[in-house]
Amino acid sequence: MTSNAGRHLSTVIRVVLGLVFLYAGVLKIADPVAFAGNVAAYRLLPYFGNYLVATTLPWVETICGLMLIIGWRTRSAAALISLLNGVFMLALASTIIRGLDIDCGCFQQGAAKTSAWSAMGRDTVLLALSLTLLRRDRQTGDRTAG
Amino acid sequence: MHQSTKRLLREMAIICLMAATIGIAWNHRLLLNAWTGNVPANPPVPASIPPSQAGQRQPAVPLPLGLMQVKEFHDRKEAVIVDARDGATFTAGHITGAVSLPLGEADARLAEFAKRYPPTTLLVVYCNGYDCHDSHNLAAKLIAAGYTTVFVFEGGFPEWEAAGYPVTGGKP
Repeated sequence: MTSNAGRHLSTVIRVVLGLVFLYAGVLKIADPVAFAGNVAAYRLLPYFGNYLVATTLPWVETICGLMLIIGWRTRSAAALISLLNGVFMLALASTIIRGLDIDCGCFQQGAAKTSAWSAMGRDTVLLALSLTLLRRDRQTGDRTAG
Repeated sequence: MHQSTKRLLREMAIICLMAATIGIAWNHRLLLNAWTGNVPANPPVPASIPPSQAGQRQPAVPLPLGLMQVKEFHDRKEAVIVDARDGATFTAGHITGAVSLPLGEADARLAEFAKRYPPTTLLVVYCNGYDCHDSHNLAAKLIAAGYTTVFVFEGGFPEWEAAGYPVTGGKP
């Protein structure tokens, strides 16, 4: 693949990933109580911990999404998104192991239920995209980094 | 540690810190209420205010409650557990000690319910799990009727039963 095509591919991945996380974050910011309920359904955190995660995590997603879209500090945003995806996948795996039949709470709160397996598949794709971005940025250097 | 890795970690930490600061500032009331165990934006309603007026003063925002918290309330008999499902489903199986108040009959039966349970009663409403929204709708009606502390147990009967906690009816 030519370096030009590679750069275009990087831009597409960056913007798509950014839009996905911006969308996910904004939906959760709009309804933190419902998201807290979805976090509570994982039964991993104490009562207040569910609220703390529900009120801060969507902002991490939103900020990283915006950073990827505008192309500023993309390596940091991609690394953080990779980390988040890893944590999401561990949480989802734990629900499968424990036999919990819950909604993943990934996007619209209170919408049609997304099973852990579907969410896991989606997160695998997102993780692959963010890792690709991270790798490409490492190779080419973060030109936009100030 | 490599210089660029250090910078990467530092920037990641800054993003997390920024997100936490904005998120906590943005939702400080909700967090404060969650910390103290109060329903957000639902201050206690003076007894002199009729329920209908009280409903206009309060936004209907019931807090979700996890299985363990519901079990604690149930065991300590600190809350009235309210079943929002229809009567036949309730008879077929419900959380032991729960009170039936089907969403479809709530408007007609709310007055009778209010006579038995004062507005300060801690209520936990449930229905058939995360796909069921009757518990949220009933909780909103109860808040509008003047109840000051209303939680929703979103896992509902399926989660309770799956955990092996006490149920009444249903099993032969």
